[in-house]
Amino acid sequence: MNMAAIIQTKNLTKIYGGKVKALDNLNIEIEEGEVYGLLGPNGAGKTTTINLLVTRISPTSGTAIVNGYDIVKQSLEVRKSIGVVPQDLTTDEDLSGYENLKMVSRFYDVPNAEAEERIHKLLRMVNLEDVKNRLVRQYSGGMRKRLELIAGLVHDPKILFLDEPTLGLDVTTRTQMWKYVREIQEKLDVTIILTSHYLEEVDALANRISIIDHGKVLATGTSDELKSNLKGDIIIVAMKTDEDAATIMKYPGAIEAKENGPKTVRLKVQNSDEELPKLIRFVSDNSLSVTRLTVQKPSLDDVFLEYTGKEIREEEPADMRQTMMNMRRLRR
Amino acid sequence: MSGLGPLTSRELKKWYRNPVSLLTGLIQPFFWLALFGSAFSKIAAFGPQLLDGAPNYITYILGGVLTIIGLFTALFSGVNLIFDRRLGVLGRFLIAPIRRSSIVFSKIFASSARILVQVGILILAALLIPDGLEFKHGFTVLDGLILIAAVLLVALIFTSIFTAIAVRVTRPDTIFGIINLVNLPLLFVSYAMFPPGLMAGWLSNAAKYNPVSWSAETIRTVVINGTLSASQMHSIGIWLSGLAILAAALLLMTYYVSEKEIRE
Repeated sequence: MNMAAIIQTKNLTKIYGGKVKALDNLNIEIEEGEVYGLLGPNGAGKTTTINLLVTRISPTSGTAIVNGYDIVKQSLEVRKSIGVVPQDLTTDEDLSGYENLKMVSRFYDVPNAEAEERIHKLLRMVNLEDVKNRLVRQYSGGMRKRLELIAGLVHDPKILFLDEPTLGLDVTTRTQMWKYVREIQEKLDVTIILTSHYLEEVDALANRISIIDHGKVLATGTSDELKSNLKGDIIIVAMKTDEDAATIMKYPGAIEAKENGPKTVRLKVQNSDEELPKLIRFVSDNSLSVTRLTVQKPSLDDVFLEYTGKEIREEEPADMRQTMMNMRRLRR
Repeated sequence: MSGLGPLTSRELKKWYRNPVSLLTGLIQPFFWLALFGSAFSKIAAFGPQLLDGAPNYITYILGGVLTIIGLFTALFSGVNLIFDRRLGVLGRFLIAPIRRSSIVFSKIFASSARILVQVGILILAALLIPDGLEFKHGFTVLDGLILIAAVLLVALIFTSIFTAIAVRVTRPDTIFGIINLVNLPLLFVSYAMFPPGLMAGWLSNAAKYNPVSWSAETIRTVVINGTLSASQMHSIGIWLSGLAILAAALLLMTYYVSEKEIRE
C-alpha cells in the first residue's frame, strides 16, 4: 500500500438492478496532490466511480477510503473533506453568484469571516468578482461553469472531483477552464480527480491517467508512460522511385513495414529517436533518395484505441437528454 | 439538522423576490373574501342560527378561508422540490454534508412562513372591507394563538404528505395531477365553506372526519365567540389534538422518507 494515497478503492463493485455490472472489483490508488484522470468510453464506469467516491450512491460490495474515511461507514466525514463539480449545473438561477457560494459555505459550517475571505478569493481567481451580485440566471455559459467550479471549493476541501467539467462548452471557454483548473491545483494545493470525454483535456490536465472499460482498470500511468507502453513509433518515408521503396521495405530495424500509398512506406519502430539516425545511415549506404520523412509519436487516442478497441470520438455522452438540457442552459 | 437554515432562507428569498408571487399573494385574500362574501351572503337570510351566531357571512367564512389558504399553499409545497431536482440544484444539496431531511423540511418551514404572512394579510383584508369581519365578543391573545395553531397544523398535515410525494416524483405534472384530484374533495367535503345544516346528510357526516373541517371549525369558534365556554374549549381541544396527532405522525413519516429515499 502506498502511504501517500489519499484515495484507495478496495474491490469496489457496483451492480445495478442485480445484473448490470457497472464496476467490477476496482482497485485504484490516488496520491495526494496529483491530478488524476479517469478515461473511458461510455458505460465504462467513470461516473459510477465518482458517484461512489463522493457517496452519492453506495457500493454493492467492496469499499474505498477517501482522506482516511470509509465511504460506506463514514459518508458524512467523506463529504466534508471533498468538493464536487458535477456534470450538471447545480447553482441556483434565482440567487446571485455570491449568495450561491454563501449558501454552500453554510452547508459546511464554514465560520462567517473565513467564508467571506475564501469566497472573495475564489471569485477573483475565476474573474467573477464584478458580477458576484448578479443573479446566476443572467450569467453566460462560461461564467456559470466557473461558478460551478468554485462552488466545490468554498469549504477548502482536500480533494476536488471534476466530472466532465467542460462538457458542452465551446473550445475557447474550454481552454479557459483548463487554465483555471491548473491555477486552482497550484494555488489551493488540492488533489483533483477528473473524468472526461475529451482526450486533450485529460492529456492537458492530468499527471496520471487510468483507462477503464467494463468497470475494470485496463492501464494506469502518466500520459508518456501509456504512450511508450504502446511499443512503437511510426516513421513514414516517401521515396523517389519504386525500387527505392522496395529497398526501404527491407530496412532491418523495423518491427513492421507496410506500403502506405504509392512509393511510400510505413515503418513501425521501437523508438523513433534512436532509430532515425540508423535509418538515415541506411538511406545513404544504399544511395536512396527520400522525398519526405514523417515521424509519428503515438497519441493518447492511439493508447485509448489499443486498450478499449474503440475510438473515443465515436462516443456519445450517455445521457443525451441531460446533456442537451445543459447545453441549452449554457447557451443562454 | 445543519442545512435547514441556509436552505430555508433560500426558499424565502426565492419567494419574496418574485414580484408576481408577492402581488398575487396580496391580492388573492381580497378575491376570496369579496367573491365568497357576495356569492354566499344570502345564506344569512336562512337564519342566523345557520351561521353559528356570526354577525355576517364574512365573519362566518373567515375560518374556512384561512384554512383553505393554508391547505392550498401546503398542496403546492412539494413542487419546488421537483423543480430543484429537474434543474440540478438538488445534486448540490445531496453531495453536501447535510441531513437529507433538511432539504425537505426547509420547504415545510418556508411554506409555513408564507402561510403566516398570508394569514395576517387576510385578516387585515377582512377587517378592512365593508360589512367585513367583526369580533363581536372580543378576540384574546389565546384566541389568536389557537387560530394560528389550527392553520399551521392543517397546513403541516398536507405539506408533509405533498413534500413526501415529491421526494420520489420526478415530473411536475404528476404532482399537479394529484393536487387537482384532491383539492376540491378536501374543500367541499368539509365545513370550510358551508354550515353543516346546508349540507346533504352523508356529506356532512363525511366532513366530520376531514382535518380541514377541524381547523375551520376551531377558527370559527374563536372568531365568533371570543371568550370560550367550557364546552367550546372541549370541542377545540378535540379538534386541535386531532390535527396535532395527524401532523406529528405525518411529519415523522416525511422525515423517514426524506432521509432514506431522496435522490436525484
